[in-house]
Amino acid sequence: MVSPETLSAPAVQPAVECRSIRKSFPGVVALDDVSLSIAQGEIHALLGQNGAGKSTLVKILTGVYQADAGQIFIDGKEVRLRDVREAEAKGIAIVHQDQQLIAQFDVVSNALLGNEIVRMGGLLDRKTMRLRVQEALDRVQAEFSPNALVRDLSVAQRAQVAIAAALLRNPTALILDEPTASLSDKEAEHLFEIIRSLRAQGVTIIYISHYLDEVLGLVDRISVLRDGRLVATTPAAGVSRGDIVKMIVGREVSQLYPKEEVPIGSPLLEVRGLAQGSALRGVDLTVRRGEILGIAGLVGAGRSELALTLMGALKRDAGTVSIDGRPSNPSDPRVANEQGFALIPEDRRQEGLIADLPVRENLTLSNIARWATFGLLNPRLEAGAARELVDRLAIQPPSIKTLARNLSGGNQQKVVVGRWLTGDSRVFLFDEPTTGVDVGSKIEIYRQMVELARSGAAVIFISSDFEEISAMCDRTVVMRRGRINKVIDDQAQATPEALLYWASGSAAPETAEAAATQAARSPMQAVLDTMFSRWSTIAGMLLTVAVIATLAPQFVGLGNIFDVLKQGSVLAFIALGLTVVLIAGGFDMSAGAASQFAANVAAGTLIGGFGSAAAIGLGGSLGLLIGVINAGLILFLRIPAFVATLGMMFVIMGATLLYNGGQALTLSDAPGFFFLGQGYVGPVPFVFILLVAFTFVLHVILKETRLGLRMYAVGQNAAAAALRGVGLKQYAFASCALGGLVLGLAGVFLASYSYGASALATGIDFLISALAATFLGSTISRAGELNVIGTVVAAIFLASLSNGLILIGVSSQALPGIQGIVLVLSISLGLVRKRSIGQILIF
Amino acid sequence: MQSIAAAKRSPDAFLLDQLRAYGPVIGMLAVLLIFAVLKPSFLSAANIGNVLHQSVILIIMSFGLAVVMAMRGVDLSIAQIADGAGLLAAVLMLHREPLWIVILVPIAFGLIAGLINGLLTAYAGIPAIISTLGMMFVIRSGELLMTNGAEPQILFTLPRGLTRDFLFIGQGSIGPVSALVVLGIVVFVLMMIVTNLTTFARRARAVGGNSRAAYLAGVNVRAVFAGGFVLAGLLSSIAGVALVARTSIAVPRGAEPYLLDAFAAVYLGTLLSRRAEITIWGTLLGGLFITFLGNGLTLLGLGAPHRYALNGGFILLAMAVGALKRNQ
Repeated sequence: MVSPETLSAPAVQPAVECRSIRKSFPGVVALDDVSLSIAQGEIHALLGQNGAGKSTLVKILTGVYQADAGQIFIDGKEVRLRDVREAEAKGIAIVHQDQQLIAQFDVVSNALLGNEIVRMGGLLDRKTMRLRVQEALDRVQAEFSPNALVRDLSVAQRAQVAIAAALLRNPTALILDEPTASLSDKEAEHLFEIIRSLRAQGVTIIYISHYLDEVLGLVDRISVLRDGRLVATTPAAGVSRGDIVKMIVGREVSQLYPKEEVPIGSPLLEVRGLAQGSALRGVDLTVRRGEILGIAGLVGAGRSELALTLMGALKRDAGTVSIDGRPSNPSDPRVANEQGFALIPEDRRQEGLIADLPVRENLTLSNIARWATFGLLNPRLEAGAARELVDRLAIQPPSIKTLARNLSGGNQQKVVVGRWLTGDSRVFLFDEPTTGVDVGSKIEIYRQMVELARSGAAVIFISSDFEEISAMCDRTVVMRRGRINKVIDDQAQATPEALLYWASGSAAPETAEAAATQAARSPMQAVLDTMFSRWSTIAGMLLTVAVIATLAPQFVGLGNIFDVLKQGSVLAFIALGLTVVLIAGGFDMSAGAASQFAANVAAGTLIGGFGSAAAIGLGGSLGLLIGVINAGLILFLRIPAFVATLGMMFVIMGATLLYNGGQALTLSDAPGFFFLGQGYVGPVPFVFILLVAFTFVLHVILKETRLGLRMYAVGQNAAAAALRGVGLKQYAFASCALGGLVLGLAGVFLASYSYGASALATGIDFLISALAATFLGSTISRAGELNVIGTVVAAIFLASLSNGLILIGVSSQALPGIQGIVLVLSISLGLVRKRSIGQILIF
Repeated sequence: MQSIAAAKRSPDAFLLDQLRAYGPVIGMLAVLLIFAVLKPSFLSAANIGNVLHQSVILIIMSFGLAVVMAMRGVDLSIAQIADGAGLLAAVLMLHREPLWIVILVPIAFGLIAGLINGLLTAYAGIPAIISTLGMMFVIRSGELLMTNGAEPQILFTLPRGLTRDFLFIGQGSIGPVSALVVLGIVVFVLMMIVTNLTTFARRARAVGGNSRAAYLAGVNVRAVFAGGFVLAGLLSSIAGVALVARTSIAVPRGAEPYLLDAFAAVYLGTLLSRRAEITIWGTLLGGLFITFLGNGLTLLGLGAPHRYALNGGFILLAMAVGALKRNQ
């Protein structure tokens, strides 16, 4: 640790030093001879525009990229950082802008994932883990419990978790990448306090931000990158925001912009007080016909949210919008399109294009009904329209058949723009249209904006490239933290420097602080929701059982209860196996078929005279083998879990029928073996005792060991797990194999319970009960995650339900349908808030 | 960039390309050829006619599954919907209802089941595997209750005059061609139109390709996704009615094995398209191959077990080859 006296001047030996780092990508020199030294215990800001080389430098420091030339020293020793793990081990920790955490985990598990503290046999030492995490949380002044679930925390609290997690690795230097981008002013202020206190504790921090006034108040020294070169490193004291802006921008306008004067008409779009969550806090705008309005803003300013809210893709909380005098409040982009809005989304590949479709279908998608009568297309007219657009936009190659993915970035963007040119759109929202686009295509896109303006449309041009905003717009507003920070009516004043100046700092008097309090409500709401969905399941189960008991009093007789436990146990075993597979293995269609096959093999083994031990051993091994094959198909051939296990299900069903020759394998006179599934210890069915024992062991493996923790981690958020060095493959494999083993043993118990194995290959019948139990069980846990105890409780409940319904006099033929309904209902319980469409991965 | 690379490709790479494109077709033909060598009767005109006749039901059902799967959905209830529709038709027939009721009520049933699937999946957001699996079991229970525990509904017992028109769908012929094959051709042509020349087709392809982008481009993503399930329900019910008209008997759960065959048909169909896409053409050929395969196995005296295992194997094979195609 560094004593406070050494803080004032740069220490003798820098914590991190880069010498002459060079990195180029095809066609671009991203970093050119950058030398930089970070003193121990300082907060060092790294500044620069998008594309200046900041993120490349960070990626080299964190081992994501390797420099083409140059050296890196950490604590005076030269190091080579070949991958993320190595950079971490050498002492560089990074907290990303969007903290990758596992929402369903508590703070302790999240903070120590990948660095768990274990005792003998891989058992998690929860107590020590908790203590360590609590220490780290104290260092970041966290006020929440280490046992809180991350998904119940606010964005600011998650940032604290992410920083605490980084501190737990005792880094030489901690990189904070845009940590305040999604925080409110107040939350950001709190974070600065935390960062200052970390400096007081001797932590070296590299701070990356676009917000210059925060940087000035926080950091000790500043390094500015521009066009891949280091412009200067300077102490923060005595530098003004204006000075830094000059360093960051400081270049001549590098290209010509095809700006033309177009007559500007009456107001077309009027926005008043538009608010959306914490992203928009009361935005007022007026855009006139023929006008290009620039919206300048940095990451997290709420620019994209503004566009998405106008399109109806985000639900607005307050405010009015009118287009041509008519009020507009679209429920989705389709309605917005009808009202005259057109969006060119920020992320062209993910949100704009349908990459696997040809140019033609991409171009005509939005207004496809225009070339159809009663839904029937006129392909000649439609192709003609597409061809005309390709000509008009000069899309290269000039063909309507090219797949959109094979176009260059600029041409892709032209396709997204062209999509709206065939309709009656009057307000065009361009969200960062020129990122990753070559110069020629940029000019084409600018020309299109001018053309649209000339035709009387209102164009909103959102960008963080302030040069293009400055050159192309008639008027500019600057956004910051969800508000309009500055309106510049005289475009001559909207120089890149001025835009950056306003976008990066507050200065404007705070006006609408009221909106900021809104976000505070949500964590409480989330807790209530969790409580509701969790206890409502149990309450529902108890209520159901009570109703059955009232209607059929014999249901609660001791004899009947033990009968139900016995009936339910075999099903519960299959559900257990399925649960284990689902935790990290994706999906398993073959679960029921695997158990059925194992039951046949166990029965066959006994008939062959090899005894119970062999039957159990073979059944279990068979399940394990099937699990391993499934894992191989999913992980190594990369077949989606659904298809791989579907195929396996059929293969197993065929194999089962080949094995038993279409005959039932009936067992008689195997009392030792029958005891497994039918015996009693006192009044308690032996199979139920087995079930409890198995559940306990599985629960310990899944919840109390490193293996289990990591299986859950990769199942719930593989990307976040990978950032902590927890790879998908081995844990998904463990999930499939362990689950397969349980499924195989379940088959053995099934054979014992039912005097052998039936002739049918009824793979899918067991599957539905097991799925119903698994998903119903997941609604019992705190985080709504799959868990073995919940599964067993749900399986026993389902057995009671079947038993009770039959006692009441409901036909047994109705039971499959009831299970189906329970399955659908238990899934929908977990989906109350999230309503995407139920697409699945089938390729 | 790609086009330049393509132009420079060596003859070897060209050959490999051709093999990738046509290999699966050649493979399928080779399998059928083996049957023909082992059992010459496999290629007799009578047998081929019979297989074509049989294949229609599978193919119609597979078309529905193909439409849903092209949008990255899945419908596990198609075979059960067909089963339920066929059973309804048989029960109505036995109640001596007029022909239009016997046909239209089951089809309405298919539409409603498909609509519920669509609402659950597209609007409630339940994963398609779960909602359609639930639907499958609800229908199965309904069938068992309706038939008092899977009693077969036999149409032979009715007077010939009463059943003649209905059974014509599955057993009659128009000139030299069986009525069922004519139905199959009509459905195929209609499906070619629906999946190529309609606004639904374009929107569905967009939803399958990138549902977020389709949504932002103004496509009513939920309605389109739900529409696929409705179409699948409709086609399944048509297939179910045709099946009963062919066999004159409806046994609850009798149509269930078609589910496997339909999956195999759709996945095999993807091998026949250049970019491993789901197409109606591919599904048609996949369905024909699966039916020929089943027929060949039966002629060789091999039954359901081999069919299950081979179909499952083909699904896995199709996926593995498809992955190769996409990753090239």
